[in-house]
Amino acid sequence: MSNITSVNPSNVAAGRDGGQGKQQARGAFRRLVDAMLLPLLAIFTAFLIGALVIFFTSWITTHSISGSLNTVIEAYAGLFKGAFTKQRGMSESLVATVPYIFLSLGLAIGFKAGLFNIGVEGQFYLGAIAVAWVGAIPALQSLPAIVYLPVVLLAGALGGGLWAAIPGYLKARTGAHEVITTMMMNYIAFRFVEYLISGPLKDKGSSATQTLPVADGAQIWQLAFIPERLKDPLNALGLALVLAFIAFIFARWLFGLPTLRKRIQNTGQKRLYTIGFAVLVGVLTFIGLPALSRLWWPFTDQYDRMHIGLFLGLMAAVFVWWLLWKTTLGFELRTVGANTNAARYAGMNITRNIMLAMSLSGAMAGLAGAIEVLAVSSCRCMQLFFSSGYGFDSIAIALLAKNNPFGIILSSFFFGALRNGGDLMELNSGVSKYIISLIQGLVLLFVAAPPIVRWIYRIKAERRPEEEAPLTHGWGGG
Amino acid sequence: MATVTKSLGRLRTSSLSRTLINVVVAMVGLVAAWWLLNLVIGGQCGKLCVIGTLAQMFRYATPIALAAFCGVMCERSGVVDIGIEGKMLMAAMVGYGVNLFVFQVFKDKMDPASAGTLSRWIALLAAVLSAMLLQALHAVVSIKFKSDQIISGTVINILAIGITGFLYRQFLATNLPAGPGTFPIWEVPGLSKIPILGEIFFKQQPLTYIMFILVFVIQYVLFFTPWGLRTRSVGEHPRAADTLGINVFQVRYVSVMIGGLIAGLAGAYYTLQGVDVFNPLMTNGAGFIGLAAMIFGKWNPFGALMGALIFGLGTSVTATVSIFRPDIPSQIPQMLPYVLTIIVLAGVVGRAIPPAADGQPYEKQ
Repeated sequence: MSNITSVNPSNVAAGRDGGQGKQQARGAFRRLVDAMLLPLLAIFTAFLIGALVIFFTSWITTHSISGSLNTVIEAYAGLFKGAFTKQRGMSESLVATVPYIFLSLGLAIGFKAGLFNIGVEGQFYLGAIAVAWVGAIPALQSLPAIVYLPVVLLAGALGGGLWAAIPGYLKARTGAHEVITTMMMNYIAFRFVEYLISGPLKDKGSSATQTLPVADGAQIWQLAFIPERLKDPLNALGLALVLAFIAFIFARWLFGLPTLRKRIQNTGQKRLYTIGFAVLVGVLTFIGLPALSRLWWPFTDQYDRMHIGLFLGLMAAVFVWWLLWKTTLGFELRTVGANTNAARYAGMNITRNIMLAMSLSGAMAGLAGAIEVLAVSSCRCMQLFFSSGYGFDSIAIALLAKNNPFGIILSSFFFGALRNGGDLMELNSGVSKYIISLIQGLVLLFVAAPPIVRWIYRIKAERRPEEEAPLTHGWGGG
Repeated sequence: MATVTKSLGRLRTSSLSRTLINVVVAMVGLVAAWWLLNLVIGGQCGKLCVIGTLAQMFRYATPIALAAFCGVMCERSGVVDIGIEGKMLMAAMVGYGVNLFVFQVFKDKMDPASAGTLSRWIALLAAVLSAMLLQALHAVVSIKFKSDQIISGTVINILAIGITGFLYRQFLATNLPAGPGTFPIWEVPGLSKIPILGEIFFKQQPLTYIMFILVFVIQYVLFFTPWGLRTRSVGEHPRAADTLGINVFQVRYVSVMIGGLIAGLAGAYYTLQGVDVFNPLMTNGAGFIGLAAMIFGKWNPFGALMGALIFGLGTSVTATVSIFRPDIPSQIPQMLPYVLTIIVLAGVVGRAIPPAADGQPYEKQ
């Protein structure tokens, strides 16, 4: 099939492509400008309004214009320093980015299937407690990471996924609206987890109300300890397998590109190259990386909490993109979300799709909780006041990214950096870090309502129909 | 004409019988709840305890019911409002701050009791206005700029967290003078002397009375006045309403702003009726629970009140259980209101169908 198309008079096709290509390129450039300009202006305007708010609140108490201006500058300088340049500032921002990526991916899956999973926070908690339990089972303590880590991650995904499957089932079977049920499940999750932490799963030896710490083999690796970890050949093997898998996917994608697809036509040859590349990457990792990391490793600061969860997050984003836009399953999910009746008439199983979407969404949230326990919490366990508030921010992140997995990575980083920088801002300038919520809200507002930004900066609107397409569907229909 | 009256008549009777069925179900539910409660706490819930629990139920249900009414008003006109939580938070903070501030101004000029009353009512007004200010943003963004209403509501929530938290930290966190306190219980003259019902219904604080009144007002306005008919038609089929000469945008603006007013009352509950302190995030999801009550009640005020009452009952029973049975881990009964809501929703109510144009921006052709 591919042979026939490529034998076609390629010069003619190329000529026509060239003319169209130029036009397309210009269109693409304009689109890029349009796509980048508005968010950037939105962010700029939000920070500007934030500055005005800081200025006036400072002016009310001090009545000094220069002093108030100074406060504004100090606040934003502190925010920037805290988020990026302070010692470990950047890595802490990335640490805060990871749960955001997973949670908003979960929300995006829900939104795409027409479900507003407002309960990601509860699923996050359930994923975390599942991991804290499975990761601390005495009989499993000596398992190597190559087995244990996948097991605990699976436990986290299952914890969140099953918790979300309940509202999914109720929605599909009885029509109970997921916004109510997931919201209620949130509160039930908080109480339930609180009960588990202070009762059955409590670490009896600790004075604090917390669970037992998870086993060493179950923990997610900090970047600083990777050389240490790779001394164990089993760990190196695990990493090699993961990287080989990524290389395999990458090579397949590479051979799918138009230029390469034309050049190499033999499928057997393609398969050989793909597998060969994957094996090569795997072997190199297995043999080379442990040695290399002992000789030279860029992450030496052992207090740096940066961990490989970030890469899991990036992989999850690619996975969600692939799932939603490249598979039949994703097509069904999106169809159910876009038009339930059309999906039903096309013979799609609505019940199955709703339950699947909810479970996947919850699994993502559960993974976020799992990583929080396995890599971020200082005791590697779950405490009574577990870091939270991620869930509601994630609604904003998913909406800001318009449910695009790659946009989610960027906006998660934006939110993570702000969340992390806020502490130093408050410390340096005395401006409450709640100003960050204000800025986040304004960014979302300006992105959601482009006419406002256009009106402020007198930008003419290019009427494009896809911009008008709704992102969410109100209550998701009946 | 005759057919219209006839069908109207049929509608009335059917809705009347439905109401009766609902009342019977609610009564059975209440008795069952009482029986279960006594089973758990060993039969210690006598007359006084029942009265106390029921009166408490209405108290806990007040902000949730008000939040739900805000949702009903907005969504009957076709505007989804998930920003109720944010408006409540805003109103709670503004109510608290203004209450303190006005009391400081007036306390030396008149006797403290009347200064307190004055400052509380002014604070209530300010709280309502602040919520309406936020709501105006939601209205303009979702009606004029036609942006996604879920996003717009989320924006309201985030902005409110930011604004209230920021102002609280900058101005209200430290060095505060003593405030005038919350609204006292007001016994309705005469009615509060009725043996049991008086204790339950007529020894409440002002916002609870306002909530009682609003149920009837909203029910009447939405279903028995031309304006209500217009609102509902805009929520179901704005194009058709527009063709009939109804100003869709105006109806939506008015409904949404009234919703904002009610959300302000719901928020004021926390600092002017509940407790005399403010802390960031103190509404704790009540706005969302209000939305749940609204969906539970199928976008009807009485249904929404029912939803809120179930929740309030769960909360007050929880309190009773934790008094009589300290040996049960407190988290288990605390889950009760939420579990109850899910069970009732999934088992009894089932599929709730929103107004047809809910969440869709209207574009004039």
